[in-house]
Amino acid sequence: MDMTVLDTVSHGHAFGFSIAIYFYLTGLSAGSFIISTLAYGFGFEKYKPLGKVGVVIATLLLVAAPMFLLLHSGRPLRAWHLFVYLNATSPISWGSFLLTIYPINCVIYGWFMFTGNAKLTKTFGLIGIPLALMVHGYTGFILSFAKAHVLWRTSMMPILFLTSALVSGVAMMILVTIIKDKFFSEEGKINEELIFGLGKMLLWLLVFDLFLSLSDVGVHYFGERESMETARLFLTGAFAPLFLGVETLMGKVIPLVFVSVPATRRVTVYGFAAVLVMIGIFTMRCNVVLGGEFIPLL
Amino acid sequence: MDKEMKIQATSTAPRYGMLIDLRKCIGCRTCQVACKAENDVPLGVYRTWVKEVEKGSYPEVRRHFIPVVCNQCDEPACTRVCPVEATYSLDNGIVVIDPHRCIGCGYCMAACPYAVRFIHPTRGVAEKCDWCWPRVRSGQEAPACATGCTTGAIVFGDLNDPGSEISRLLATVPNAVLKPETGNQPRTYYLALDDEAARAVEHGHGG
Repeated sequence: MDMTVLDTVSHGHAFGFSIAIYFYLTGLSAGSFIISTLAYGFGFEKYKPLGKVGVVIATLLLVAAPMFLLLHSGRPLRAWHLFVYLNATSPISWGSFLLTIYPINCVIYGWFMFTGNAKLTKTFGLIGIPLALMVHGYTGFILSFAKAHVLWRTSMMPILFLTSALVSGVAMMILVTIIKDKFFSEEGKINEELIFGLGKMLLWLLVFDLFLSLSDVGVHYFGERESMETARLFLTGAFAPLFLGVETLMGKVIPLVFVSVPATRRVTVYGFAAVLVMIGIFTMRCNVVLGGEFIPLL
Repeated sequence: MDKEMKIQATSTAPRYGMLIDLRKCIGCRTCQVACKAENDVPLGVYRTWVKEVEKGSYPEVRRHFIPVVCNQCDEPACTRVCPVEATYSLDNGIVVIDPHRCIGCGYCMAACPYAVRFIHPTRGVAEKCDWCWPRVRSGQEAPACATGCTTGAIVFGDLNDPGSEISRLLATVPNAVLKPETGNQPRTYYLALDDEAARAVEHGHGG
C-alpha cells in the first residue's frame, strides 16, 4: 500500500564524523602497538626496526584520539564526570580507564625500550597487548550496545573493529618503514624483507577482514526488515559507492591482489597498496558510524 | 500488563503510564505546542511531535497521526549505556536526565530505538520528554500535552490504580506499543495504532 511520511522529527546523528575519526585513530594506535611488540614482546627479530617507531606512533595517536571525543561532546569540560560517576554497563565508562591506562603503559614500555632494558620492555609489551586490544575492542562494544541501530547491534562489531585496526595498523607500518628508510636513514636503502613480511601479514588480515565485513552485510541481507534495509543501503543505496567502491574494492580487494601476486612484489606497489588500505579503513569507519544511523528510526 | 499487576500487589505507589487514543487524534499539534511552551524547548528540537503518515491512494486513503513522546520504558536502553548515570528511572517509572551531570556524549541518543532524545542546542546536554515530571510532581494534574489535547486523546494516569481511566482503557480496549520487539517495555500505549504507519520512515533513505 502507498505510504508517505508527511511529517516527522529527526534530531540528527548521535555520533558523527569526529567519532569515526576517533575510532580510526584508536585502531591505528592499537595496530601499531601490536606490531611494535612483535620484536620486543615475542622476539620476531625481523620486526625490530618497527619496535621504537611503533610505540611512539601508538602513544601519539592515542593522545590525539580522545581530543575528538572532547570535540564531539556537548560539555567537554565535564569530562571529569567520567571518572567520578561510573556505570558498569556502559562501554564509554570502561573506555575512560582504558584510555588512561593504555597510553601510560605505552610510555613505560617505550621508556624501557629506549633505555635498553629488554626484560622490562618485554613485560610491559605483553601487558600492553590486551590493553591495546581492549582500547580498540571497547569501541566496537560502544556500537554493539547502541541497540537502536541494526547495523550496530551485532556481536560482529568488536571483532570487525579489531581486525580493521590490525589491517590499518600494518598498512601504516609499511608506509612508516618506507618513509623512515628512505628519508631518515643514513644509506637510504629500504628494508625490503620487512616490507614483504608486513605485506604477507596484510594479505591474511585483509582476507579475514573481507570475510567478516561481507558476512556481516550478507547476514543483514537475509535478515528481518530493518536488516534488509540496511543491507540495501550498503549494496545498492546511498552508501553503496563508499562501501562497495571505496572500502571493499579499492581499500581491500585491489590491495589484496597487489600483496598476493608475485608480479607486483615491489616496494612501491606495496606502498601504494598500503595507502589504499588506509583510505579504505578510514572509509569503513565512516560507513559504519554514519551509515549505521542513516536510516531514520521513527 | 502482568508486570504492572504484580507491582500493584506489593505497592500502592504510583506507576505512571500514558495512553494515546489515535481514534480521537485529529493531528492539530496542540500537544507539540503545549510541550514547547511548558518545557522551554528550543527551535529545531522537539520533546514531543506528531508523526503524520498518509496511507493508501485516493480515494481509498487515510492520514495517520501518531503523537510521539518518550516511552518511559521499563527496560530502557538509554539508562544502561549512559557512562555517568546522568539518566535513570524514577520509582514511578519516569526516565529523567540530570542536566548537571550529563556530558552530552550522545550515547543515550544512539541507544534509544524511539529517537526521542536530542542534544540541547545551547546547553549541550541530552534532553527528552519526561512526561512533565516537574509539573506532575508539583501536583498539577497531567503533562502539558495531555492537558492541552483538544479531543482528550492523551490519557495520563497511574497504572497501579485499577480504577484510573488509563487502567480501565488498557484492560478493556485492544492496545499496542511502538516497536515491542526491542524489549524496552515502553509505557506509552496507543489505541488504534497502525503498525505499518508507525514504522514507516521517510523515502529517499535506505536505498
